[in-house]
Amino acid sequence: MRAAERRSRDFAAQFLYEFNPRAAGYVGCTNGGYADDVHLRFSDRDRSVFLNLSYAWQPEPDPMIRPLVLLILLTALLAPATCGAGSPPVQTDHLRSRLVAEATAAVPGSRLTLGLLLEHDPHWHTYWRNPGDSGLPTELDLTLPDGIKAEPIAWPHPQRFELADIVNFGYGERRLLPVSIMIPADYAAPSLPVRAAARWLICEVECIPGKAEYVFELPVAPTADVDSRWADDFAAARADLPRAAAATLAVADATDAITLTLSGLDAAAAPAQWQWFPETPEVVANSAQPQWQRTDAGWQARWRKSEYFTALPAEVALVAVDGDGTATRFAAVTAADAAATAATPLPGAAVETLSLLPALLFAFIGGLVLNLMPCVFPVLSIKAMGALASADDRAELRRHGGWYTLGVIATFLLLAGVLLALRAGGEQLGWGFQLQEPRFVAGVALLLFAMALSFSGVWEFGGRLAGAGQRLTEGHGARASFFTGALAVVVASPCTAPFMGTALGWALAQPPAAALAVFAALGLGLAAPMLLLGIVPALARALPRPGPWMDGFRQLLAFPLYLTVVWLLWVYGEQTSPLGMAWLLAALTALAFALWLLGRRPAMRSPRLRAGAAVVAAAALVLALALPLSAPTPAAAGARSMSDANAEPWSEQRLAELRAAGRPVLVNMTAAWCITCLANERIALSTDTVREALAAHDVAYLKGDWTRHDEAITRYLERYGRNGVPLYVLYPPGGGAPRVLPQLLTADGVAEAIRSM
Amino acid sequence: MKAKLLATALTFVALTGCGPGVDIDAVAAAAAAKVGEPAPPFTLVDSTGQTRSLADFTGKTVVLEWTNHGCPFVKKHYGAENMQAQQRAATADGVVWLTINSSAPGQQGHVDGAGAERVRSDAKAAQTAYLLDPQGTTGRAYGAITTPHMYVIDPDGVLRYAGAIDSIPSADPADIAKATQYVPQALAELAAGKPVSVAVTRPYGCSVKYAN
Repeated sequence: MRAAERRSRDFAAQFLYEFNPRAAGYVGCTNGGYADDVHLRFSDRDRSVFLNLSYAWQPEPDPMIRPLVLLILLTALLAPATCGAGSPPVQTDHLRSRLVAEATAAVPGSRLTLGLLLEHDPHWHTYWRNPGDSGLPTELDLTLPDGIKAEPIAWPHPQRFELADIVNFGYGERRLLPVSIMIPADYAAPSLPVRAAARWLICEVECIPGKAEYVFELPVAPTADVDSRWADDFAAARADLPRAAAATLAVADATDAITLTLSGLDAAAAPAQWQWFPETPEVVANSAQPQWQRTDAGWQARWRKSEYFTALPAEVALVAVDGDGTATRFAAVTAADAAATAATPLPGAAVETLSLLPALLFAFIGGLVLNLMPCVFPVLSIKAMGALASADDRAELRRHGGWYTLGVIATFLLLAGVLLALRAGGEQLGWGFQLQEPRFVAGVALLLFAMALSFSGVWEFGGRLAGAGQRLTEGHGARASFFTGALAVVVASPCTAPFMGTALGWALAQPPAAALAVFAALGLGLAAPMLLLGIVPALARALPRPGPWMDGFRQLLAFPLYLTVVWLLWVYGEQTSPLGMAWLLAALTALAFALWLLGRRPAMRSPRLRAGAAVVAAAALVLALALPLSAPTPAAAGARSMSDANAEPWSEQRLAELRAAGRPVLVNMTAAWCITCLANERIALSTDTVREALAAHDVAYLKGDWTRHDEAITRYLERYGRNGVPLYVLYPPGGGAPRVLPQLLTADGVAEAIRSM
Repeated sequence: MKAKLLATALTFVALTGCGPGVDIDAVAAAAAAKVGEPAPPFTLVDSTGQTRSLADFTGKTVVLEWTNHGCPFVKKHYGAENMQAQQRAATADGVVWLTINSSAPGQQGHVDGAGAERVRSDAKAAQTAYLLDPQGTTGRAYGAITTPHMYVIDPDGVLRYAGAIDSIPSADPADIAKATQYVPQALAELAAGKPVSVAVTRPYGCSVKYAN
């Protein structure tokens, strides 16, 4: 037991605080003392021992003698003194308040929750963070040693108080307002001194402002127990804390009301029966409740606007309390936020301002640029082969180009159709969803490997082998061109180019016809070079004449395909496990074996050998396909791509915590199969420039991994009008409007954005 | 017996027919006062017994100040002499400053004429007139929900500002110097012929003590 610091020892003040007319006197001692009625010093070693001497009259029945009989009642009153006695509360008008700690000691490297315990007189109340039509929220300012920061109050959900025409939100009776502090691991002092000042307004009908100061010292220890005196209060406060919502809230300004749309709620949820509190003041009217109706968009409601509404703020938050008393917090980031960010308009920032024609244009340009993306290039090589093969015949070239374009557009439309259908069914999917499925990744890897082997000469794609001349006509038929187009789309889908993010995000929110039109425009852009080749004679003439050199060229082009297979293997490994990747490698080997056998078959003279080879090849093919399809269930999603030591895994909760604490945050939504994301990380985010900028401004770096299906991330992307990765959002300190960074980052650009927060 | 039953039944129906005493939304939503629209007219008796109407002051800028001398927020501004100084400055420029008390009888802050005069002289207030609105009709017409709650009406009778007295909602007089005082700001902008930059703010203070 460490000796407590000497404080004032003052019997007299305590003498006055209990008044009993029969008391002859109080005698006692205390280690703590009162300086005045608001200023209070106490330490955890406080102890009070008191002696109460009182008397009573006992009249004698004998009228001659009336002695005064003093009955000395010795009431030894030991003030509640658990080991490390409690903190006397501060009594102010209609309120007893004290600052308490959840644990009996402070543990370095851990989070300690303090609490402002308020005991209101009956019918009196203090206020919530949004007090309502009148009133003031309770404020608590903590002064802590260097290096320890206090988070803002974690407000439990309030009650509604109505007085005549005025509606307020607050707390009555006994409530605790929790405040957490983070104690650094290297905190070396033997005790943790806490000073706090609280201000509030307490009202019944009339209102009385109040304030108090508390000074509190906790010992520092490697472990701590829960302080049983306040355990119930902390538990009650935690039970009333609003949870982050799994559903999404969208708000819109509708002249005289705000329309709310809730999507993603459970089927059993009944928001119409919940009690709704506006956390963001001056948006909706405190005296009204929203009228909820179920629609195909989810649940919708109109909530009358507040009299003081000017414009929708960046974030609108509501707290709903259901019949069981469970509170949920719904927060909507409005379009005003996305558009009001930087002075330079960023592509992909404002979704609402887009309309069909600009979206189509963006999609077309995106498709064009996609041709340059690393994941499209290998397929470009297949395209190129096809083009060169028909370079002599212009009509052929045109046909080839046309069928290729058709293949591209048809596949895009198919993918888009599937995506829209799944979304309409309620699935939270975004663009690139196909690559979130490891089996699909495995399938594409097998396919590309087969094509690469074909280029290398191991077997003939299309099954025709009749001499060098016919080899040149490979990839010539309409079907082959169509298939090449389809393949291009399949392989291109994970790469998002600039402009594509905006257009696709907008498209998926539109009626199906508009959405499919945008995807068709995207396809047109992707196929445009090939199409151009067919239409413009000059380009066709610029192509080199076919000749023996094409064999070598073809074998050379196999290598970009092999590299793509390597990349897909890595993605598959990220999505499953190293073991899974090994299985896929085995499958690829089986495939190679099967294809080699098939390639050798025509050269076999013995029919039995040929039959045998066919059987073995078939078996190997089945094995190749079955291995990844029956792969052991993938390991836990995502956590493995955290190569950054300074990145924290993203979660809505963590983001809300950091923002509530006023810290700047950089959110990076990435996926293993997204080459643009990986390129950005290599070129910009992992550089020293950016790391230094992050450290200098104390920016928290949250990384969200969308490699596998993740609904929370999909919803987050939707909030910013996107449905694919990458997405980079920078939240400035102090809770200001976030800024969406461009999809192609540079180290200096990011550092500049951080500096100008 | 039957008549009694009938009477009870009728009374019951009548009572349920009339809703709760005061419509929750009455003050806020149905309030006729909206910034940019003509201010609702009123006629009230002041603390000296004289009848005053808004129409009496056409052609002049009028400031309305809802008050309740028992409210800590009103005390903050009167105690620090902030309100009196604003009243003096405004009336010196020809602005009409009307203080209105909408506390119902029996509620905190309710005063009669004599009481109001005492409050005025104790505070050395400088308003043009102290109007008594014990029925709360004018308060409800303007949507006054706190004390203080400030309104500025331009010489054409259009409401130009409605809301808080200043920008820091607190009961601490030390915050007055740090806050933007909205009424002098609006008055200066109106005098210069400029639009009022901050026309609506959320008022803070004690709730107006209308009758329950």
